[in-house]
This record gives sequence, structure tokens and C-alpha cells, in this order.
Amino acid sequence: MDDGNEDWTNLARPYRGLRPSDPIKSVEDKWLLLPAFLKVKGLVKQHIDSFNYFVDYDLRAIMEANCKVTSDVDPRFHFLFTDIRVGTPVSEQADFANQRQPITPHQCRLRDATYSAPLMVDIEYIRDNKRIQRKDVVIGRIPIMLRSNKCVLAGANESQLAVMNECPLDPGGYFVVKGTEKVILVQEQLSKNRIIVEIDSAKSIISASVTSSTHSGLKSKTYVNMRKGLIVLKHNSFSEDIPIVIALKALGVQSDKEILLLCAGNTESYQEAFSPNLEESSRAGVYTIQQAREWLGARVRSMRRMVGPRRPNWEEGLECLVMIVLTHVPVVNMDLSAKAIYVATMTRRVLMAHEDPKLVDDRDYVGNKRLELAGQLLALLFEDLFKAYVSELKKAFDKVLGKPARTSAFDPHTTMLLHGNPITQGFIRAISTGNWSLKRFRMERAGVTHVLSRLSYISALGMMTRISSQFEKTRKVSGPRALQPSQWGMLCPSDTPEGEACGLVKNLALMTHITTDVEEKPLVKIITLLGVEDIQLSTGSEIYGPTSFVVHLNGLIIGLTRFPSRFVAQFRKLRRAGRINEFVGIYINHHHKTVNIASDGGRICRPLIIVERMQPKVTNEHIQMLKLGKLAFEDFLHQGLVEYVDVNEENDSHIALYEKDIEPSTTHLEIEPFTILGAVAGLIPYPHHNQSPRNTYQCAMGKQAIGAIAYNQLNRIDTLLYLLVYPQQPMVKTKTIELVGYDKLPAGQNATVAIMSYSGYDIEDALILNRASIERGYGRCQVFRKNTAIIRKYPNGTYDRLVAPSKVGTEEKLPKRYEILDDDGLARPGERVDPDDVYVNKQSPKDTVTNSLTVNPAQVEYRPTPLTYKTKVAGYIDRVMITDTDNDQALVKVLIRQTRIPELGDKFSSRHGQKGVVGLIVPQEDMPFNDQGICPDSIMNPHGFPSRMTVGKMIELLAGKAGVLRGTLEYGTAFGGSKVEDMSKILIEHGFSYSGKDMLTSGITGEPLEAGPRAILTRQPTEGRSRDGGLRLGEMERDCLVGYGATQLLLERLMISSDQFQVHACQTCGLMGYNGWCPYCKSSKKMAQLTIPYAAKLLFQELISMNVVPRLIMDDAA
Amino acid sequence: MNPNVRIRELQRDKCNFVLSGVNLGFANSFRRTMMADIPTVAIDMVVFEVNTTVLPDEFIAHRLGMIPLISTNCDEGMRYTRDCDCELGCPLCMVVLTLHVRCDMPGTTMNITSDHLQIQSGGDAWGGEELTKRGEDFGLPVSKSRGFNGHPILIASLRKGQELKIRCEAKKGIAKDHAKWSPCTALGFEYDPYNKLRHTTYWFETDKQAEWPLSANAEEEEPPREDAPFDYNAEPNKFYFNVETDGSLTAKEVILKSLSNMQSRTATLVYNIKHQSRPDAMDTTDAPAFPPAGQRTSGQDQSYTNASGWGASPNTSGANMGWASPNATAQGGWSL
Repeated sequence: MDDGNEDWTNLARPYRGLRPSDPIKSVEDKWLLLPAFLKVKGLVKQHIDSFNYFVDYDLRAIMEANCKVTSDVDPRFHFLFTDIRVGTPVSEQADFANQRQPITPHQCRLRDATYSAPLMVDIEYIRDNKRIQRKDVVIGRIPIMLRSNKCVLAGANESQLAVMNECPLDPGGYFVVKGTEKVILVQEQLSKNRIIVEIDSAKSIISASVTSSTHSGLKSKTYVNMRKGLIVLKHNSFSEDIPIVIALKALGVQSDKEILLLCAGNTESYQEAFSPNLEESSRAGVYTIQQAREWLGARVRSMRRMVGPRRPNWEEGLECLVMIVLTHVPVVNMDLSAKAIYVATMTRRVLMAHEDPKLVDDRDYVGNKRLELAGQLLALLFEDLFKAYVSELKKAFDKVLGKPARTSAFDPHTTMLLHGNPITQGFIRAISTGNWSLKRFRMERAGVTHVLSRLSYISALGMMTRISSQFEKTRKVSGPRALQPSQWGMLCPSDTPEGEACGLVKNLALMTHITTDVEEKPLVKIITLLGVEDIQLSTGSEIYGPTSFVVHLNGLIIGLTRFPSRFVAQFRKLRRAGRINEFVGIYINHHHKTVNIASDGGRICRPLIIVERMQPKVTNEHIQMLKLGKLAFEDFLHQGLVEYVDVNEENDSHIALYEKDIEPSTTHLEIEPFTILGAVAGLIPYPHHNQSPRNTYQCAMGKQAIGAIAYNQLNRIDTLLYLLVYPQQPMVKTKTIELVGYDKLPAGQNATVAIMSYSGYDIEDALILNRASIERGYGRCQVFRKNTAIIRKYPNGTYDRLVAPSKVGTEEKLPKRYEILDDDGLARPGERVDPDDVYVNKQSPKDTVTNSLTVNPAQVEYRPTPLTYKTKVAGYIDRVMITDTDNDQALVKVLIRQTRIPELGDKFSSRHGQKGVVGLIVPQEDMPFNDQGICPDSIMNPHGFPSRMTVGKMIELLAGKAGVLRGTLEYGTAFGGSKVEDMSKILIEHGFSYSGKDMLTSGITGEPLEAGPRAILTRQPTEGRSRDGGLRLGEMERDCLVGYGATQLLLERLMISSDQFQVHACQTCGLMGYNGWCPYCKSSKKMAQLTIPYAAKLLFQELISMNVVPRLIMDDAA
Repeated sequence: MNPNVRIRELQRDKCNFVLSGVNLGFANSFRRTMMADIPTVAIDMVVFEVNTTVLPDEFIAHRLGMIPLISTNCDEGMRYTRDCDCELGCPLCMVVLTLHVRCDMPGTTMNITSDHLQIQSGGDAWGGEELTKRGEDFGLPVSKSRGFNGHPILIASLRKGQELKIRCEAKKGIAKDHAKWSPCTALGFEYDPYNKLRHTTYWFETDKQAEWPLSANAEEEEPPREDAPFDYNAEPNKFYFNVETDGSLTAKEVILKSLSNMQSRTATLVYNIKHQSRPDAMDTTDAPAFPPAGQRTSGQDQSYTNASGWGASPNTSGANMGWASPNATAQGGWSL
């Protein structure tokens, strides 16, 4: 901000108020690695990294897989995509100089446009027997993630961002599609290509399953199940379960002995459990490989058979094994041994679980999860769109080539240009609706994208770190919802919603990173070089030998090692030296006797300080260098001081929380304990003193706080925007607050709070406000509401118009409702709008259908279609914007502002999940005060404390008071923060009680209330304060009244005061009629009138519409 | 009763004194009167001609209302708008201040402060002795008064090309209507620092004396003897006051006006009790400083009686102040 020449790589500059030159106390200052980390990685780096990976690598991979377009008509036809790239975001239309202007995200937000960049390919084809190459052919536009490396904001400093109307604190990581900000939430899934062993105790099945997924998008699930001692292979493409021995024989292991060894090894108990399966095969008369394949082929589900004669069964079986079962295990030169070993491993895992039921896997273990990010989802979408595009292209080429006589030489390029833009539309449709329906990949997902919540800065930030689960919300299982010990440091333990999505929606912790794919081939090479033996050269007894460990890479079985610890140590050494990508994880599983290496994308990992020989490798000198800006976080990685550790590796490590806890076996040291919390939970002061549900409530509530939203908040035109007039940074900060920039965009005010009882209007969490405080600006906020008018052009050549208001007859003045309009038909900014005032005086043609090209434009008849102000309370015109949209229609946005002051019933909250509504507003002279004349802004009832146990709030009150007296901001960082003892000392120094306590001096009719609004459908009172609703008398309250026997009160609350309705019902047929007439019996004889709730009447009618007849049986109808 | 006042410290905007020989009820009434019933002048209506600052009109209007204006002898030198014969405000019931600032310096931001406010002179005064009773610089922001040595109050910041042109109408009012009319900032009040009367119970963990620091006023009184018996007949009669004002009135004036205000209200009460047979007794001219309650709530008091309460209605925007003329016609902003 200060000079505009900021160098973001220079660490010597303060990062969000934290100067690296802050004085050091001890190595405790290792927490400075955190700002260094966030500076490199940022809060939403996972989204941006994933998108960058998609744009830089995946895009090309997808193109290469589908690069060739052939023709069924002309076999010599040649058309090739040779390269693909994404340009910079430029406007969709070229300007008069045929230039495309760069566009900024904020322009797109205002213009309801899509922030996208052209997608360009290089093509190569043959025309007139000449090879023609064309570069930069635009095939569509791709929405660009904000702050990704294709975004104009990437690497911009504060002053550059200011020029682009962008907020430097905005994290980016979302898209702007048709003017709305859309986030692709992180999706949580079970990891692919890994064996999961489970026991279904109800059906007494032990099953090992694996979901195979390869880059070509094929997915299939293979099971090895054990039931009543028999083991079978199960797969969708087989019509019945395949006995395991037959399966293995079909995979090329002929000898029973070999099968036994591969599956059970030399362990006697396993062999015993396995042997019945050998009989199973001979009972089926299957002895040889050929027989097994025949047997298998007969049970393959008949697939779409193309032309040609039916192939023999064994061929069918073989093809299925090669192509469909366990697709992720590669088959080279028809050598199925890798698959055989894989199936055998699965079998062995089943046998192990059979022997010891503890050896099952936990689906909910975070190490078994993968997170799917925007990049992966977009890659799938693009693959689908690109394939569709290519096949459409092929059809178009065939059509032209099929023509018998062509006038000119066929140029595929021109055909391409005439092809519309299905890719652009596909991207926009998917992101703006959130529906990922890709038939090609059998994917049908809704609600993938969400509108970025701009309620407050923290709500936007919280949304970017959110993870949604694929589990069904309705299922009443506790496992996936429970807190997992393995989520330590990776997922925030506090931040999850209440209710149905509880535990399924999670949030990332502060210092996490999500990996992207790392290439496997070099890894295999390194593994081999480190002395791992090829698994295919080993027999079963060797694989399961007492000292041998199987090495897995991304779930694939690679080889054997007899020195697992040495191998892992060497591997880690290479990684720490930077020879292997830092995000490759390795760990030993002693139960399975395996070494697992993971390089796949979607793993959560976090940095830890490496400890060797009881010494953390990061020393004070390093921290000094960091402070001086001579080292960056990357250097710590490259020098092998800090490393990324994924969940599996973390659980194979011995991590010390503090330096004092380091033991001889310690491998790592935490950088800072408070990083187990996420960005939202990090705002709570002293959360480690609170009852845990309170922190969870606060995480939900902190997002609703009104305050500042972004530096560009006054340039934005949002549908609804709430701003606090005087936001204040909290007196009691946390380090997280400074790191996320919440002190720069705060949502809340520091109030003087008295915790005491006052007046009885403070029961049930209600609070008392000081009227003078309100009048001086406490809790004052502004509401901005957007109103849009589109000036349409109609197909018949007519268009909407804006007109100046005209006087009626001989009147001197304009009618009142037109007074605020200017000559252009739009309201003047700054004017007050009263209810029913016109602020956009639009007129539309009466006839938009008939072709009016022949009609004189002056003769077109118009009808008024103005925008009128509907709200009951007057507002002010804040801004009027006129622009045009992407499809060339004029767009008028009018922002209307209201200023609101706190009133009875408004909700206020502290930062500890303690909300309350205003129960009474008291004049200052009636408020309690201390001997210095200080009186509170609000009074909170002490009954809110004992049951909620929010001790953190009490400490916050103490630290806040001490901070005010001393003139400092205090810290309430989790597991740290200003100490209560120090705070008490400050209080004593300033003549107050150490406990924060103070000696304060203290200074309806029987008519019915006016009825509130009703919902249209049910005629019941509306719900919620915003709709002026009533308070629900719910089931439990009803139970109280039933229990008490207050029948008349029940009747009044549930019917008379709610939705009382008179119906006529027929005593003969029991159906409802009208006006004393039964349309069913065609009679008015036995009609009765009765009073029922309207909702009940509605229910009856809805039931009737579904062919269910509810009949009213009336007892003593008068 | 033998009232006695001992002044311990007296400054322009601060007075620390000990009041003795009165009962608790009187002392607290005195406190409440100083806080809420002393009329001052404050900006109550703002007409925006040009506002190209980043802050919205209501925002600036609210800030302007908070600025203390010199209100010396306001209770006699000015009329309440509701009591005045004029229709749209006259010099008797209104002080007009104007402000017109435009930033033309490139590359810098310029602050608009209370010092930019100027009193609009002129205007017809239809006689009225009130004008003669006003102190010097009446209605001017306190920051512009002679002898003021502090910072003026920031209203808004301007960058190049931004402009603010407004006309403010300052009116007489009391803090019961809006806190901006309160002359006092903090009002310290204490009695019985040793808690001899046991009007309160101190919470303590181990030692009451050690945990509760004594207030400075404890020096004025004898510490109670450990074995002193509790005198349950004792009444408080020594009250320690510390009056601080925002500068609109001097501390001395606040105290004196409060006393006379209380006196006249008591007199009204006594008068009305004596003449209670008269139904219109409440409609009195004896106590001009305190209009009858019914009239007050129906007239000015809409900041909390207005049912809707949302700030944008003319009466509640900025809590009873700072709304602009709905009949504005000039382009781009408000006009007169």
C-alpha cells in the first residue's frame, strides 16, 4: 500500500502486521514459519494450486489423449491437435481497433459477465496435400480462477490491486460466472486404488474392496469376499461370484501350491483357512488356466457386442480380466502376473482379517480419504466437453467430406470456426448451476458449486476452506461424522455445522496443503535404485517371508524389500534433499508388512519441523535469517529443515508438540499448536478454555457477524450487503486473526459489558443496551440492496427504453412517485426513495412478437414497466450503474442503501457462541456505572455462564479490560495468549480488582396485538425475524401444554391465533364441500361447518390429489 | 439538612467536588439531571448540497451530530424548535453552520474536521431577548473556541476531486432525546468508599481488603475500625462527584444549571400539587427547561418511539438527525 514497489518475495517486510524483526524470546518464535508458510501458500492455495495444475498439465494430457480426428469417409484425412494453452483473460468482444482488452474480475462482477480466458489449440492438417499448421486457434473460453497463474491478479501488489478495484485481503480461489462469485467446494472421497478391508458382521462377510480409477476415467470396484470360509472375487462384469482359485488360475497361476503360497504364504493358520477354496475349484472341474478362463468367460455379463462373430468364452474371460477388472494394475504384454499378485494380496488381507478381526481398515480414517478440488472436477468436465467437441468435429468433417463434389479444397479450420462454442457454454453451465452431469464418466453430481457467501470477510474465507462429504446426509450413521484422531492438524476439530450436515462438512486447518498428482515413473526408478526387488520375481513364501516388506506405490505392488527402515530412511533423505518431490509421502505399515509410497493428488498434508538426534533442525539462527528476510519458507523445505507430512506418514511419525516433549524416538516437532484450528475457529479468543460445543457454535455464528467485507466493499454491487458503520478490530486478538487479516476487515465492536442482572428484560440470553451508546453509533449498520433492470432488445427489432418522467396534465410538479427521477429516467444518486417511488422509469414495447421492421420506430407503442421501491422503509439511492452485458444488452443496476440502528429483538453475540437478542434499551442515566462514571454499552445476564462453561469468554473480558487500561491489544491465541496472571496485575496497577469485577452503582394492556404476516400457502404465521415472523410454539412446547392440560391455550395457540379456517364438510361422505353443498353427494342435506387449521385443510386436499381419501367423521355436528 | 459543597478541583471542562449534607436520593437526582436534562446545541439536521466523499450522507450527518458546539447559557439563550413561533427555523431556535471543503491537492488526502464548520451569520431575528443572553461564539464547534488545545474532530477524509458542501441546522435539545445533547462525558459518582453502610457486598477469594483496591476518595474518610459495630441507622451523606464535560458547557455551568433545573421542576411539582383542581395544571410556563412529558414524547422523541426504527426514515436516520430535504432537485446531490 505504501509505495507500490512491494516485493512480495522480500520477507523483511511486515506480513499482515507481523514484522519478522519482532523480538525473539526463544525458539518459540518458530511460529513465524506460519506467516512464512501462508505467504507462500496462502489461505486458499489448495484451490489455486489445483487449478494451476489443471491448466498447466491436465489440459494438455487430456488433449493429447484425444488429439486425433479421423474420418470414416476419407481414410487419408489427417487432423491433429498438437498443443493447447490458456490465454490471458480478455474481453469477449474485440473493440473498434480489433483489440481484445484485458478484463479484470471486478468488471465481470459488475457487468454480470464471466471472467474467462480463451482456450487456444495448435492444429495440424492436410489440405491440398500440404501439411498446414495453425497456431492459437480459439476453441472456447474457460473460466479463470481468481489469483490463479492465468488471472490478472496473480502477483499483483496492493496498489496494482487497488487499480483493478480488488481487495488485497481477498483470498481468490473462486470463479466469476455471469457476475456471481462461485466456489467449487472441496469434495471428500474414499481414496481410489487402495484396498479397504471391512467386516460386515450382520452378513458375516469379510470383504476387501478396491475402487480402480485410472486417468482415462474408467472406474470399477472389485471385491474379494469371504463368506463361510469361501473366498470369492466379485465384480460387476461377472454375473456371479468367482471362486478365488478359479480367478487366480484365470490370471495365470496354475499350480495350487503357488496359489496357496501367494495367498496364504507359509503361515499355517492362513493356509488352513484358505485350503477349502482349493477344493472349490476342483469341484467346478477347473484345473488349468484355459479351463478357468472358459469358466470365467461363460459368466461375463454380455456387453454391448459390436459386429462380428461371438468369440470363444476363454477369450471373453481373458479380455474382461485384462480390460475391466482392477484396471489400475497395468498389464504389459498380456502378462497378468501383476494382477494375480494384486488379487492374492487382497485375498491375504481377507485372511488376515479373518484371523484377527482387528486388522480391518477404517473408512473414516483421514489417510484413506482423498480431497477432490476444483482442478480435478474441471478436468473431468473439460475431458467430457473436449471429447464431445472432437466427435462433433468429426461428424462435421464427415459431412463435408461425404459431399460428392466440393467447389474448393476442404479446410477443416473454417469448419472449426463455424462450430459455435460448446466448450464455453459447457463450462459456464456447469459452474453456474453446479450440476456436473457427465454421462461419459457416469457422473451425476449436483451442488458442486456454491455462491461465495459475502456476509462477512470470515464467511467468504470459511467457505474457501470448506470440505463437503459425499456421504448421504440422511443416513443416521455416526462414523463419518465423528471426530477422527487422524484429522489432527489437518481438519479443524471445531468448525462444522450443527444439524444434518454435522461432521460431514469439515474445514481445513490453518496450515494444510492438498497435494496434486506427482509423476510415478521417476519414483519407480528411484525405488528400484534403492534396492527394491521386482515382485514378479518372487514367490509367495518370499513375499510373505519374515523379513520382507512389500513396497506399494499409490496402491500398486512394486516390489520387495528386506530392509524397510533403511529403505524408508534413504527415501526420506532423498526427499529432504529435494531429489524427490516434497509432497511424496512414505510410511511403513507394520501390520501389513508394507512400505507405502503415495504420490497421488488430493492427500492432505502439513509441514512439520524435522527432529534428528533430539534436536529440531530449525534453530534460532534460521529463525533470525527468516526475520531478516534471508530465508523463505521454500528454503526451509529445500534445506531439509521442514517437510510436508501427509496423514499416513504423520501417523507413522513421533511428533513432539513442544520442544520440551522431544524424546529419543521423536521424529518431528509441531510448528505451532494453534494450527490444528481452522481460519474460523482461530478467531475465538482462548478457545482452549471453552466447552467444545461452544467453539463449534461460534464457528457457525462468526460467519454471520456484520462488519467490513473487503477493501472494495463500496465498489461492489451485491444483491445484499451488510456493513457496520464503525467496525473495530478486537481488543483481544489471536495470531490467526492477524494472519488471516481479520484485524483489517473486522466484523464487530468492542463493547463495555457488565455481567449482571438488570430489569428482568434480560432473561433467556436477552441483553440490555445503552441507548446513548446506540445513539453514538454502537451497532449501527448499513444495508445495500441491488436492483437490476435489463434494457432488452426484442427479436422483432423493438427494444425497452428509459424515459424521463412526464407531468400529468396541467400539473406544475411531477407526481410524487416520479420526483427522484432524472431526465434519463433513472433516479439521482443520493435521493431518498420512499415506498412506491419509481427509480428506474423503464418502458417496454407492447408488441414484441410481430416483426416491426416495417413499422416506424416512432409509432411503436410502449407500456410502462418501471422499477418501484417495494420496501416499507425508505432508503437512499447509493449508486446507479449503466453498462452492457456479454450479450449486448444494456444493464442498469441501482444500489439502494438504508442505515439501521439496533432495536429490540436484534441479535448480538460475543465470540464464544453466546448469542442473545436485545431485550431492552435503557437510557444512559438509568444504566449502572462505576465510581469513575464508566457505564456499560450492554448488560449480559450471568445465567448464560454456568451451564455453558465459556471460561474463555471470562478470560477475554479480563484481557480486554486490562488492554483498555494499558492501551495495548492483548492476545487470546489458542494454547497461548496473554496470561490471566499478567492481566490481573495490570488491573491491580490501574486500581481495579484483579478479578475484573467492579463495584457498580445503580442509577400493558389486554388488547390483542396487531396480527403479523402469514405465509401464502399454509396461512400460518411466517417464520424468522426478517419476515416479521412469529415465534414457533413447537412440539416440545406443545407437549408441555398437553401435559399441563391447558386445552384452551393449545387451541388458541395452534389454531385460533394461527391459521383458523372454516370448512364445510359432508357427514355422509366425510369430504369437504363449500357453501353448505357437497359436490360428491350432490346434496346439501347433511353438511356441517367446522373450524380446522388451514394447514389441516391443505393436507386433506393434498392427500386427495394423491388419491388418498381422508374422510372426516363427525360426531355431534350441530 | 445542611447542604455543603467542597470543590476539590475546578477546570473549564472538569469539576471534582464533594457534596455533603444531602440524602442519596437528592445526590442521584443531581447526577441524572446533569447527564440528561441540561440543554445544549447540537447539529440536528443536515442538508447536503454536494457529497462526493466516500461516506454516505447519513454517516456524515451522524458524525456531525456528535460534534460538541459551544452552548453557553443555552437554556436561556435559545428556544426549543417546538416552542418557537417560526415555521422553518429562525435564529432564535436554530444556529446554521455551513461547511464547504474540496480537496484539490493531488496525491494527498485531506481531512475535514470540525474546524471547517462555520456559522452562517445574518438572518432575521424577530426580536426576542434570547439572542442577548447567549455567550460568545455560541453554536461554534468547541474545537474552534478560544483556549481550546486539542485536536479538532475528524469528519471525513477527502482525496483529490472530492467535495463536501453542507448546511447544518443546530438545535437545542436535551440528552433524554439524543445522547448528542448531553454536555457530560463521564460522570463519576461515589459515596461510602469503605462500604461502612454495607450497601454492597464485595466478592472476594481470601481477603477483602487486599483484593479490592480503595478508591481515591477513601482518603476523605476515616477508615472503619476493625471492631466498630455496624450502625444500621447510618445514612450516606457525603457524595464524591467528578463531572467531565465535552466542552459545550463548562463543568461549572452544568452543575449550576442542574441545580436550578431541579429547583424549577420541584417548584412546578409543588405548584401543581397545590393547584391540582385545575386540569390544565401541567401546562405550565413556570418551568421552561422541562416541558411536560406528553408533549415531549409526541414531538421530538421519535428516536425510540418510532415503531419502525430502521434508520432511514427521516426521523430516525442518524437517530433523529441528519436527513436531507426530500424535495431536492439539483443534479448530482442535494440542494436547498
